[in-house]
Amino acid sequence: MSIRRVFVLIGKELRHSSKNFIFVFAVVIPVVLSLIVSLLFGTLFTGKPKLGIHDQGNSQLASMLGDTEALQAKNYDTEEILRSAVESGGVDFGIVIPEAFDEDLLNNEQAELDAYLWGESLMKNRAAIATTLVVLVREMIGQEVPVQILTTSLGDGDDIPWEKRLFPFIVFMAIFMGGTLVPATSLVDEKQKRTIKALVITPTTFADVYIAKGFFGFLVSIFVALVVLSLNRAFGNQPYLLSGVLGLSAVMAAAMGVLMGVFMKDINTLFAVIKAMGLLLYAPLFIYLFPIIPGWVGKIFPTYYMIGPLMEISQKDASWSQVSTDIFILIGLIVVLIAVLAWVSRRESRRGT
Amino acid sequence: MNWYSIRTLVSKDVSLFFRNRFFAFTTVGALVAYIVIYLVMPSDVDETLRVGFVADQLPQEISEQLVEESLEIYYADSVTDLKDAILDAEITAGFAFPDGFQEALATNENPQVEVFFPADLPQEAKDIYVLLLKELSFLMVGQPLNIDVNEEILGEDLVGQQIPLRDRMLPMIAVFILIFETLGLANLLSGEIEARTLEALLITPLRVRELFTGKSITGIGMAFGQAFILVAITGGLNNQPLIIIIALILGALLATGVGFLLASTGKDLMGILAWGVLAILILILPAMGIIFPGTITNWVKLIPSYYLVDTLNRAFNYGIPLQLAATNLAILLAIDLIFLWLGITALRRKIA
Repeated sequence: MSIRRVFVLIGKELRHSSKNFIFVFAVVIPVVLSLIVSLLFGTLFTGKPKLGIHDQGNSQLASMLGDTEALQAKNYDTEEILRSAVESGGVDFGIVIPEAFDEDLLNNEQAELDAYLWGESLMKNRAAIATTLVVLVREMIGQEVPVQILTTSLGDGDDIPWEKRLFPFIVFMAIFMGGTLVPATSLVDEKQKRTIKALVITPTTFADVYIAKGFFGFLVSIFVALVVLSLNRAFGNQPYLLSGVLGLSAVMAAAMGVLMGVFMKDINTLFAVIKAMGLLLYAPLFIYLFPIIPGWVGKIFPTYYMIGPLMEISQKDASWSQVSTDIFILIGLIVVLIAVLAWVSRRESRRGT
Repeated sequence: MNWYSIRTLVSKDVSLFFRNRFFAFTTVGALVAYIVIYLVMPSDVDETLRVGFVADQLPQEISEQLVEESLEIYYADSVTDLKDAILDAEITAGFAFPDGFQEALATNENPQVEVFFPADLPQEAKDIYVLLLKELSFLMVGQPLNIDVNEEILGEDLVGQQIPLRDRMLPMIAVFILIFETLGLANLLSGEIEARTLEALLITPLRVRELFTGKSITGIGMAFGQAFILVAITGGLNNQPLIIIIALILGALLATGVGFLLASTGKDLMGILAWGVLAILILILPAMGIIFPGTITNWVKLIPSYYLVDTLNRAFNYGIPLQLAATNLAILLAIDLIFLWLGITALRRKIA
């Protein structure tokens, strides 16, 4: 193996693969998905009832509604826009607060509110909005709640927001697409175009090619994963440990990618195999999506050791002692994959194909 | 038109399509997966707030008012029973009033009320139950509020008969299946262009018109067949089957036109995937407006698949009659013919 040749090959990968669709896909998709998930789950999937407000004066109620956490309030400049937002389902409920609303209530006079309801809004959302409105109006006019409220949570469940549940998917996708798909498709492409044959006729060996492809996948994988982690501010309190685990996960992904590339003869077969392996690859991630599944189930699958320690460190601030067993298993898996790759590389060299 | 040649061409294309492991797997696998996803999703919408009280603590007039406001009330025998009902997910919140609560309220003693939630209840839902309790206490002390609310319901009031998420998703899944077929057809065609088998075919007595008729039948048949299986198994044909079948055929025609266009752009599977994914993302956009109402502006009407998605949604979920769907179907047919013409022209140039 020649280090110089490996770096020449990496340079070539960078020049040619960066124009490849899969490369762009591997870099762009996890980042875009990460942004979409935080955007969607931050607003669309909150489960909060949506209230539209058109404030004709400067009512205190509008700002109180905007501040409450119980619902999602949005202001509209005109009644027509509010009406059309309700009609299209953009909000469940729309209210028009008249100019003298606060004044009437404070003077103990009858106040009026026009309300629009979206026909498809859920009964519980309507009830929730109506209750919130009434209670906030009472607060506004200074009526004091006649009871003291003591809240108690029962059971040991945890309200995990969906963006948090989906985060492991995005990190895994970042590692897997860059680390596995990039080298695998690049190798298969070279095999289909027969450029790999031309390469190994020169002093370049199969080992040089595999290392270069794998290293390039590793770089892409680690780069995209770092971008996704920084976009989500998910470095936790142990950035060095996290970076180390990220590096190991990227190595495993790259080794898997090179192996797939070596064994698959064309792109169609490669994609078919990746599709077929989908359940095995993604299975550990379902324990994050559905916390009701016992944690040990995920540990049956090798990809758990790529994503598990990363999630423990970034989401739960786990220390080395808490994740060391998983990391040693990850290192073991990498050693096995590299051993298989070395054997395959020697076999290919002997065959000279 | 030589229909024997066309039939032979179609059967050759279908067998070639299924020889491609990627597309064969995704075609069958995806169809099965979509059907399974649909069937395991909830078939109704839970739109009630379920609250529990210890049986003898809630005044009759208040419980009647809560029921009027569509709340579901659970009466527990004791606080322990109330907690068990929460842990067993029978209710989402429980209120426990202290002994002598009514008297304490009447004498302004600010009695303490305990509210129980399951720990995994989202914070906003907890806030709602606390607000509900506050309003209940105001009602119990008889504190009035001088507001008249004039309510107007916009659109059909679907309370009690809400459309489940899986039915909102069904048009999107059907469109997704139709649109995904563009990739299969495009790959099939580009493979033939690269291997020059299309040119070889044209040396035979087969004419260009017959060639494209054959390819169109393959494309429409593959796309329509899968979408039809999906809607037939999921009960999508229970409402307005004629509109749905026409819409699916027109959707398959659109997929075929787009497939022809894609085949003229890409050289191999990778090239087709590059443009195909972009096309799929654009064409799937209108379906988002059904799942997330109010999120998409009128610009979406510029995307051809809007007329397909809108028709399927209104027929599946609202049972609109044919005369109301006719405009959408006519626009869709016009768009289909334009895409088909564009695709065939681009392909003919490529072959030439």
